[in-house]
Amino acid sequence: MKIFTVLLGLCLVFVFVWERVDMVRIGYQIERLKRDKTVLERQRDELRVQFSSLSASNRIAKLATEQLGMSLPQQGQLILVQSRPSGTPPTDFAAAPVRVARNYLPSRRD
Amino acid sequence: MAGSGSRVRRYVLMLVLLGGFVLVLFRLVTLQVLRAEELSVRADRQHQKTVSLEGPRGTIVDRHGKVLAMNMEVPSVFGIPTTLESPAKAARQLSSILSVKVAELEKKLQQDRSFVWLARKVDPEQGRRLDRLSLDGIGVVMEGRRFYPKGPLLSHVLGFAGMDGDGLEGVEHRYETYLRGEKRMMVLQRDALGRTVFPKNLAERNPVPGHQLTLTIDEVVQYIAERELEDAVTRSRAKSGTIIVLDPETGAVLAMAVSPRFDPNTVSNLSPDRWRNRALTDAYEPGSTMKAMIAAAAIEEAAMKPTTLVFGEHGRMTVANTVIHDHEKLGWVSFAQAIQKSSNIGAAKAGMVLGEQRLYRYLQAFGFGQRTEIDLPGEGVGLVKSPSAWGRRSVASISMGQEIGVTPIQMVTAVAALANGGVLMRPYVVSEIRDAEGHLLRRVPSQVRRRVVSPETARSVTKILEGVVTHGTGAKAAIPGFRVAGKTGTAQQIDPGTRRYSNSRFVTSFVGYVPADHPRLAMIVIIDAPHDKNASGGSVAAPVFSSVGEQVLSYLGVSSGEPVTLAMAVPNS
Repeated sequence: MKIFTVLLGLCLVFVFVWERVDMVRIGYQIERLKRDKTVLERQRDELRVQFSSLSASNRIAKLATEQLGMSLPQQGQLILVQSRPSGTPPTDFAAAPVRVARNYLPSRRD
Repeated sequence: MAGSGSRVRRYVLMLVLLGGFVLVLFRLVTLQVLRAEELSVRADRQHQKTVSLEGPRGTIVDRHGKVLAMNMEVPSVFGIPTTLESPAKAARQLSSILSVKVAELEKKLQQDRSFVWLARKVDPEQGRRLDRLSLDGIGVVMEGRRFYPKGPLLSHVLGFAGMDGDGLEGVEHRYETYLRGEKRMMVLQRDALGRTVFPKNLAERNPVPGHQLTLTIDEVVQYIAERELEDAVTRSRAKSGTIIVLDPETGAVLAMAVSPRFDPNTVSNLSPDRWRNRALTDAYEPGSTMKAMIAAAAIEEAAMKPTTLVFGEHGRMTVANTVIHDHEKLGWVSFAQAIQKSSNIGAAKAGMVLGEQRLYRYLQAFGFGQRTEIDLPGEGVGLVKSPSAWGRRSVASISMGQEIGVTPIQMVTAVAALANGGVLMRPYVVSEIRDAEGHLLRRVPSQVRRRVVSPETARSVTKILEGVVTHGTGAKAAIPGFRVAGKTGTAQQIDPGTRRYSNSRFVTSFVGYVPADHPRLAMIVIIDAPHDKNASGGSVAAPVFSSVGEQVLSYLGVSSGEPVTLAMAVPNS
């Protein structure tokens, strides 16, 4: 009986100590994961800023005009018409705009 | 004898043990009870670290979620001069990475101090290069830096945040309480090596980031407005320019462009004059654009009808011993024609029929002389004197847009009221506020300030303003396939030398809306002091209205609804 009591006591002490040690170990693990998370968040933010910067309208327009030789449509060259799905009566169709280029006008580059 | 000796030894041993226990007990009571508080504090100080953490500043995005301003953690570089072996060598190595002069760095590193900033908030790449260098006595800490990835785009509306992360101008300043991250003190446990183990209180939460603002601004519309404005200002060699594009139904600002622009990423070396949002702060004499509102007031009060005949005095009329001129010598014309020809005499006569009190009431009703309550800082009220301060010519002068100061935002808001059927809306730039996880906290509704004129009057004025574009002074504002309503303005500026109206310095403007029957855009274009003495609103500002309007309508997918004959159509998929 005495031996059983001593063993039980030792077990309790062991569980207590193991729990404390494990808490510290998990604490370190959490901190390491937090640091990893911070690094990844920084990378994400950096990429977001880069993406936003690279997709800026003025940059795209500059690339289009200077590198690809594109030019803005002149006034009147770009018009919108509404397409009518086949089979629908002219009066009650859901208007869906379609962009078309009126290409019989001379472009700015001409 | 032997038994008594053994007993004595036992007693002595017991006494010694008892004494030992008493000593231990005494020590225990001293440590655990009497000095418990003091020792506990000392222990906490050794293995606890209190840090102040601040959540990052919130992001600002346009109406489609495109990032316009956001925070990013970037390295700040510091030195510990007392631990450096060779400041000169360290300065040489750092100089190329930080792009700072060697002498400047060396001077800092030779100071007798334990901490000195070498460069704050540098680019992440510089930080990585510095890490690879791994210099003793040089350290890096991460700090939040505000980035404006679109550069100068929308700079006057966004404003900027300072080095400490405080919003100093524009939306950054106005919405400071929403954008700023929450500050929180956290107590962390640390081990013998100083490494953080875990928070003392596991229930402690990380600091909350600032809220995200969604603007009513559309990046593409803003880009179109800025590009066309820059072109126009450069072409006309003007001093500055402004374009505001509104949704007239809601008052939502789609674009607000001011020239010259600035880059909020590098604002420290610019004067405040450069970042002032002239669209809100600067009052100008509107000139003939005011006639649109005078026409609306006169028609609403039945003082005039569009068909009422007005005598143009052949371009010359004397009021209070001063002469009012028209650029076109008109005889008898309808009131509508007088406005379309931008007749000063016609507008002055309408103002005189209205009288001082009614004229003043309508100026106030259209929002002149008061803030539009737009959610941006620094808005001016303009200059509208009360009738008691008016002179004998004031009614005529105000009716043709002189003796009155208005801001561009006031003028476009007033014209938007004519576009939407007579209701003055509150202009606004922030449409939604969300928390960092994207949950909607507040949606800003459009806000009606008051009804100014009836829908019938608004329709009548729209017809008159359409005539300005079809056969009046604003012909160059026309957009193929669309009905445009608007009014030109060419206001003389006061010459600071003579303190009289200058014949060579003008504020040229065009304000209008399109499509006239179902307006999607209300827009004002102001070109300040173009370098041409023959410049006018019709020749300088109206073409910009047309160009911006056509591109924006196309971008928004607004079709004219008119039948179109195409030689060859190619879908632009």
